[in-house]
Amino acid sequence: MKLSNEEVTRYSRHLTLPEVGMQGQLKLKEAKVLMIGAGGLGSPLGMYLGAAGIGTIGVIDFDVVDQTNLHRQIAHSLGDLGRPKAESLRETLLAANPNVRVEVHDERLTRDNALELFECYDIIADGSDNFETRYLINDAAFFTKKPLVSASIFRFQGQLSVFDPASGGPCYRCLYSQPPPASLVPS
Amino acid sequence: MQATEVIKLVLGEGLPMIGRLLLYDAMKMSFREVKVRRNPDCELCGEHPSVKELIDYQAFCNVPLGVEEAEVFDGSAYEMTPKALKQLLDSDEQPVLLDVREPYEWDICRIEGAELMPLSSFKADQTGITTDTPIVLYCYKGVRSMSALQELKKAGFSKLNNLEGGIDRWALEVDPDMPRY
Repeated sequence: MKLSNEEVTRYSRHLTLPEVGMQGQLKLKEAKVLMIGAGGLGSPLGMYLGAAGIGTIGVIDFDVVDQTNLHRQIAHSLGDLGRPKAESLRETLLAANPNVRVEVHDERLTRDNALELFECYDIIADGSDNFETRYLINDAAFFTKKPLVSASIFRFQGQLSVFDPASGGPCYRCLYSQPPPASLVPS
Repeated sequence: MQATEVIKLVLGEGLPMIGRLLLYDAMKMSFREVKVRRNPDCELCGEHPSVKELIDYQAFCNVPLGVEEAEVFDGSAYEMTPKALKQLLDSDEQPVLLDVREPYEWDICRIEGAELMPLSSFKADQTGITTDTPIVLYCYKGVRSMSALQELKKAGFSKLNNLEGGIDRWALEVDPDMPRY
């Protein structure tokens, strides 16, 4: 794999960093990252990953853009109201960097499609907004041996960690063995 | 920060957040880091795992409630549609209209003539209303007001109604000028 001249110029500030360099930029280009959720977390995540030159970005989200999303889900614009979020995020990423490949999965992540989908990617990034999906993602990442970059947010508080049992680290269940009682979960 | 972690993993550079949990509080603008150890008893990645394939996550996350809490209250007999409430408010038999939402919601919009009694501090025996007064309760979507209605019912109130679909449905069906949130 090689970078085009346009890519060399685009990523020049990466190429001159010893931690990235040409080898690193090629690794980014070869990487396949699956993002779950194209909302509040997924918007900035996707925009940064796309701009940085991650070669293949999968986006799974079943939701459509609503007016109440616009104040924080910055990948979506007024013209995207009613459109699938995954599709809207794809367009935003490609507008900034047409060199990346964005694979849209306009569906809900379920126990029936999770393993097959995870197998197609190297890294899983969780930007989901509910516990059912979070446990599903954790378990599916464990079974497919994919590192999971997990972020969650509630009001003004956020959490971030990387779960990678394959490299000896803990999983999400090591941290939270049980979900909170349904009656305490904010909607 | 999430993107940075992904990029570090791809590059194989730096110290990824494996075994560490970052807690961020925007209001305090504080970052705290806690160690997360692998749990040998973990049901997924522990020594004797019980989760060996993907499970039913909906059932897993709907932890059964205690016996008393599980008792389901059928409030359908108390529901009042927005149009029916509008007719009632326009008539001579005005009920007491109780808004059980929180003050920040009250500040966004409210139904004229309503009285604010947030559910978070709601006390059925301290409403200052006699138990034979007709009362209509509402909240955002009609769920919280139904639980306030149950409390009033237990406290002996007899003429109770709940605005079906809450103020959100009221805005849709009765007052199109009202902002929705």
